Amino acid sequence: MNALAKAPEGHPAAPERASGEIRATFAAHGSRTRVARLYETGGLRLRFPKSADTCEAVIVNTSGGVVGGDSARLAFEAGEGAQVLLTTQSAEKIYRSDGARARIDVSLTLHENATLDWLPQETILFDQAIFARALHVDMAARARLMLCESTVLGRLAMGEQCCHGSFRDRWRINRSGRLIFADDVRLDNAPAALLDRPAIGGGARALATLLYVAPDAESRLDECRAALEGTECDVGASAMNGFLVARMASPSPVILRGAIVSLFSRLLGRAVPRVWR
Amino acid sequence: MTTQALLSPDILLAVWLSPSFPVGAFAYSHGLEWAVEAGDVGDEATLVAWLADLVEHGGARADAILLAACWRAMRARDFVALAAANELALALAPSAERKLETSQQGRSFLSAIEAAWNAPAIEAASAYLADEIAYPVAIAIACAAHDVPLAHACRSFALAFVANLVSAGVRLSVIGQTQGQLALARLAPSLAELGAFAAQSTIDDLGSASFRSDIASMRHETQYSRIFRS
Repeated sequence: MNALAKAPEGHPAAPERASGEIRATFAAHGSRTRVARLYETGGLRLRFPKSADTCEAVIVNTSGGVVGGDSARLAFEAGEGAQVLLTTQSAEKIYRSDGARARIDVSLTLHENATLDWLPQETILFDQAIFARALHVDMAARARLMLCESTVLGRLAMGEQCCHGSFRDRWRINRSGRLIFADDVRLDNAPAALLDRPAIGGGARALATLLYVAPDAESRLDECRAALEGTECDVGASAMNGFLVARMASPSPVILRGAIVSLFSRLLGRAVPRVWR
Repeated sequence: MTTQALLSPDILLAVWLSPSFPVGAFAYSHGLEWAVEAGDVGDEATLVAWLADLVEHGGARADAILLAACWRAMRARDFVALAAANELALALAPSAERKLETSQQGRSFLSAIEAAWNAPAIEAASAYLADEIAYPVAIAIACAAHDVPLAHACRSFALAFVANLVSAGVRLSVIGQTQGQLALARLAPSLAELGAFAAQSTIDDLGSASFRSDIASMRHETQYSRIFRS
């Protein structure tokens, strides 16, 4: 598969190798939420495991990973009063690149009183991966959004470090048409060496940012901090402008995942999706 | 000739970015107070390493890029772009205390400029801005309105940002005053580099990696004994 990823020589910005897309709209029907429109193409699929009372959608990447030049576009819309949880079937692997950047663009739209949880499993960057993620949210004032992205730099279990490569992550969260939270992450050239620096990662290899935007978000900061007490993860939480934000960093993806799971359970008031357990 | 026209850009910057300019910069540590509490910063070497991260990959770099974008928007009289960059600058604050750090200093800076160093372009820009103004945005407005060249503004801002944190380090008893100057001298090459880079940057160059500095500013919010507001 990687042989196909080769960028044409002399063209650092190679044409896109593969592009996949999912667009889905969810609508409330009484107390239940169902998918109303669904479009899937290029190896990306949406699956709906049977679950008790929530609408849970699992993104499956049938190509097994993302290579340089690939692009994936994911657009989800939760209609008025809809409640949906989106996750991924497995960790997303970003393979080494010969120069072209792989991109994942996520767009989430939440109408009034909608609840959307965006809880993909971690993204794993192989050494020399070149990857950019963009996350764009438009939400109504009384919608509720929980989102968390976690990223692991290197296949740590086999001793791999991200000595070279690039990771960019751009978040723009708009509520009632106003930008309330933005984040621009840039780990360029030598991610592992950067992450060893004291104000950057202090030796971390796994990073996560969790954002909870809801009418009650700010009032839940103490609860959130309590849920994080005792974790070995380097973590902090803050709240402002109607949202709560937590940043986590750890040398261990397992410890990071533990911290995320305890935050989910506490803030959502229910168990994490089955794929997370 | 007005008083202002007699003053060179370098003198204006020395006045506006002096610790005595009434923005209350001395009250903010950008999370450094927690880094000291947690043991990440404890002497000159660890202070320099922490601050170098902020200059090369953190808040100082992001603010310098935002300053440049706003300076250009001012020169182009593009107040819509200026307001958008201000909204972005505020939204990029990773914690409530960092938001306070930038918005309180930004508001105080612009108020002092309007009181003592006003200009028609500053009044025009103010009309487009919400009450909250990020600190680098306020500096850009004043510099562009008074013909302070962008490269000078970026360089001076970067220096003032770090000098303020070195002074915080002295007050936190991490280093003595002379060592503080040594730390500043060690950081000078990085500061010059950031100034030059920021002056030709665009808003697309934004991007930070200072996760532990962000976390420090969050942890500072519940720090038991503290002398700084961030």
